[in-house]
Amino acid sequence: MTAQKHVLDYSYYPGCSLHASAKEYDESTQGLFKALHIGLTEVPDWLCCGATPAHNVDELLSLSLCAKNLELAKGVEGDLAVACAACFSRLKTTQHKLEIDPEKRRQVEFAIDAPFADGKKVKHLLEILARDFGLERLAEAVKKPLSDLKVACYYGCLLTRPPEVPELDCIEAPTIMEKVIEAAGAQTVSWSHRLECCGANFTLSRPGVVLKLSADILASARDAGADCIMVACPLCHGNLDIRQQEIEEATGEHFGLPVFYMTQLLALAVGVRESKLGLDSMIVNPLPLLKKKGLV
Amino acid sequence: MKNTKMTLSARTMNLDFVRKVEKLSGTSVRRCFQCGKCSAGCPMRSFMEHPPNRVVRLLQLGQYERVLAGRSIWYCASCETCSTRCPNKVDLAAIMDALRKCSWDARGPSKESFVQLANRIFIENVRTYGRQYEMRLAAVFNVKSGQFLKDIMLGPSLLAKGKLKMFHQKNRNIHEIEKIFSRIEELRRKGGAL
Amino acid sequence: MSRIGVFVCHCGENISRTVDVEKVAEAARGLLGVAHACDYKYMCSDPGQALLKKAVAEHRLDGVVVAACSPRMHEKTFRKATEQAGLNPFLCEMANIREHCSWVHEDRDEATAKAIDIVHMLVERVKRNRKLQPISVPVTKTSLVIGGGIAGIQAALDIADAGHRVVLVEREPSIGGHMAQLSETFPTLDCSQCIMTPKMVDVANHPNITLHTYSEVEEVDGYIGNFQVKIRKKARSVDMARCTGCGVCMAKCPQKKIPNSFDRDLGMRPAIYVPFPQAVPNVPVIDRVNCTWFKSGKCGVCQKVCGPGAVDYAQQDEFVVEQVGAIVVATGFNLYDISEKPKGSPIKGYGEFGHGKIPDVIDGMTFERLASASGPTGGKILRPSDGREPKQVVFVQCVGSRAREKGISYCSKICCMYTAKHTMLYKHKVHDGQAYVFFMDARTPGKGYDEFWRRSIEQEEAVYIRGMVSRLYQKGDKIVVMGSDIAVGIQVEIEADLVVLATAVQPRQGAELLAQKLGISYDQYNFYSEAHAKLRPVECATAGIYLAGACQGPKDIPDTVSQASAAAAKVMTLFAKDQLEREPIVAKVNERFCVGCFACKKVCAYGAIEEKEIRDRQGNLVKVVAYVNPGVCGGCGTCQATCPSKSVELDGYTDEQILAMIETL
Repeated sequence: MTAQKHVLDYSYYPGCSLHASAKEYDESTQGLFKALHIGLTEVPDWLCCGATPAHNVDELLSLSLCAKNLELAKGVEGDLAVACAACFSRLKTTQHKLEIDPEKRRQVEFAIDAPFADGKKVKHLLEILARDFGLERLAEAVKKPLSDLKVACYYGCLLTRPPEVPELDCIEAPTIMEKVIEAAGAQTVSWSHRLECCGANFTLSRPGVVLKLSADILASARDAGADCIMVACPLCHGNLDIRQQEIEEATGEHFGLPVFYMTQLLALAVGVRESKLGLDSMIVNPLPLLKKKGLV
Repeated sequence: MKNTKMTLSARTMNLDFVRKVEKLSGTSVRRCFQCGKCSAGCPMRSFMEHPPNRVVRLLQLGQYERVLAGRSIWYCASCETCSTRCPNKVDLAAIMDALRKCSWDARGPSKESFVQLANRIFIENVRTYGRQYEMRLAAVFNVKSGQFLKDIMLGPSLLAKGKLKMFHQKNRNIHEIEKIFSRIEELRRKGGAL
Repeated sequence: MSRIGVFVCHCGENISRTVDVEKVAEAARGLLGVAHACDYKYMCSDPGQALLKKAVAEHRLDGVVVAACSPRMHEKTFRKATEQAGLNPFLCEMANIREHCSWVHEDRDEATAKAIDIVHMLVERVKRNRKLQPISVPVTKTSLVIGGGIAGIQAALDIADAGHRVVLVEREPSIGGHMAQLSETFPTLDCSQCIMTPKMVDVANHPNITLHTYSEVEEVDGYIGNFQVKIRKKARSVDMARCTGCGVCMAKCPQKKIPNSFDRDLGMRPAIYVPFPQAVPNVPVIDRVNCTWFKSGKCGVCQKVCGPGAVDYAQQDEFVVEQVGAIVVATGFNLYDISEKPKGSPIKGYGEFGHGKIPDVIDGMTFERLASASGPTGGKILRPSDGREPKQVVFVQCVGSRAREKGISYCSKICCMYTAKHTMLYKHKVHDGQAYVFFMDARTPGKGYDEFWRRSIEQEEAVYIRGMVSRLYQKGDKIVVMGSDIAVGIQVEIEADLVVLATAVQPRQGAELLAQKLGISYDQYNFYSEAHAKLRPVECATAGIYLAGACQGPKDIPDTVSQASAAAAKVMTLFAKDQLEREPIVAKVNERFCVGCFACKKVCAYGAIEEKEIRDRQGNLVKVVAYVNPGVCGGCGTCQATCPSKSVELDGYTDEQILAMIETL
């Protein structure tokens, strides 16, 4: 039992990456939500959403995997909190498509051998923090304002697109990430490549694609005067952080931009212990920057 | 193939294929009036031999072999930029999914093998383990694609950072996954499935 | 000593950019007889005109020179202001220092010097201007409408409904024009006949409309409010008064194999015929070229079978003279004839499309007749060559149009829409057929137009291919169409059963001859010119003559009907007054010096010069002199230049004035 009663309670779908390459996203999310007294209960034995490879070649499989997860999530109270932008997109897309296409719904229901669980609200962590919890409450919870830290908020493709599906924010000019991190006292920079594609899952099959697209994003953030980049997607993180050194070697340019998950920065601001932020998991070392800004 | 003349007739224009793509994608191919906005904003345009608008145009003309033979559909990143900005609400990202499925079912007439291979391993992993294990995914991909040393420099640092898990977790729902796969296969055998 | 005011306009920057306007005003101030000079940013504006009026009163001016734009632009404006200031308006003149100076020169000093010269000349002219009073002429409240297509019909009905008499002249045996030939009309797919024929009947029954079909305008004299028009009524060989329209003559005529041009020569008609069943008037005409009786003097069947005895082989062309106050020209268009390179046409022809020698390559109007329920195939789409239903039809847009090298640079405006309509009509009639359209651009600006075009693609499954066709050739019973899809950059080849060319819209053949009769201007393609492209789009520069429909430029039905109603409204405005005021810039004869040689009469383009007898008190003829009818005089000054005894002068342009102007230089 927690000492203090939760102000909000959610079921939680972390997704495959948060248990592996993006474990710091999971850690910092757990730390942040605990500090804000928001309950997260992980859906037991959740399955992969199928991600891009499944919908790329087999939509029925993709829809069925997501529908299965939504059915599993039904067993846990509260709206479904999703951290990964790709999982979020797949789950929302599934809900959308099965709502508008009875034929697809019929086939999916056959595949999962259960009626489709509508009604479960799927929410990205950003929505929970900005809307359910609220920016004012978030600002009140800040113990260590991130003042002086210039953050480039990177949305990537799937947080806002396509129209009518995620419905997270304005598709072409979203501000939700900026609002959330500004509530923690940080400064945000205005930059051109907030919504451009990083190369996504070509990181495995055609890394050359990632080197080019992510290089443009890193350069844009650097040129806008950012100290760091903030993301809400493990794949974006992988491309911008893990491959950053490789990109520097390939382009001959220097970026040196730490790439934070938004929960890492927020958790830092609300006073979660440094050791719980997973900072040591980041490939581009963030400590020099954070020290310089007096945040660690 | 790429530049050979198109002879158009009711016989050479495969409009059934177009209808199939429209059904799979839930979007109209004919609506496109070739404004080119999809190609203008496509981050992957420079990697494609047919820009996105031309993919749709070739479809409109029933020239699906030309589309499937190319690499373009496999170089789509599914970023949804095209679908988001299309002035005609043509869901091109969904058309790309549908085309890839058609190509996939036809056992890959495209020369682009790496992307297809990665997809195949990913889906096999999901079927076997219920979740994705990046380490295994990368390792199997490297072996099967013959690029044994690919990203070799990244491995140790990722391991050191705890980012690569060597072993999969137990999952009580693992048998559910296999059921989903086999029911979909059953549905397809019977015909009529997507 | 004159007291003239000079007002120099900046015209925003149009004049002041190249002409030093202050310097011009200053120079004017130094001229003999100039009492006041100033400059202002916009003389035509309300404060500018107020400035002029104030100066007339303050400086007791007796003449005004406004140095600004062309008199065509604002002479009326400033003469009105001058009149309001209490001066005779004809004591105001404009010095054109814009079109004649600032717009055509670059050097500021030289332009300024020229502007000063122009102002000086006008000052000298105004000094010698006389006070003139406007001339009133009566208006004949009857309108002539030339052309009985939808434009002429609409204009005639509107004017007649307003209570004025209309004389409608149509060249063909029936009114209806091109619209009567169409199957269905875009963008609503109304049946053309259904919406057209009631209007045709209205024309025939209207008490205010006198209809002359099978007739042509022979001569036009006079001027606004007072035209005399001579009309040739061609011999119909059938008495209109007796004929009941029973049709027995047509049924019995042994000559039945004459290609009917109304059906684009696809159907056949007898030698005595009405062009189509709904013709107005429903009175046949004998085609004398093909009639056996006229060729050989034998036959005469129609006369024998005609109950009322209406057939009259001896009928001659008749001439009718009508007095009219206004003329609406609505002569419509021709489609470029693909059958051969037309003589004297700017079009160079389409050898690459077979010069019209391939029977299954047709034009859009022919397709209309194939699709029309009243057409030669009863509305079935069948190929002209073998009567088979075509399964692959290729439409090619912009044939002739937008092809500078072929002689026409303009867009024919209607083809994108009617081709989209054709693909729909085709799909509605041949369900398993496929329509292809080669196009360069889809130009569909109009209410519901783009939606219509998209419908043809999205619902009727027409395949549109962006790119012009290079060549057409016959291969067996197919026509090979060689094109390219420029969106994919790949060549396209289609073996078509039928090819429909959207050929250019051109003015009627001989349009320029009618223009010369009417004294109206036309462009390089023989389309009639409006007075101002934007502000006077239905009026000719020649007063009292108005334009409606495609004779002015390619137009679809909605635009044509709008323009026809606009032209009718202009006619009604003219007819709203009993008297018409005319500018008194007319020639006057000095009878003391006139020797009665009548050289002036020979050169007068307006027929304004009459012979006048001068008699003494006892009534004895002293001499015969020239007299200028001020109602007819056009003020051109040709008589003045011709007169050997210098006894005829144009007000405002007398020799004295012209010489004084020259002397300033």
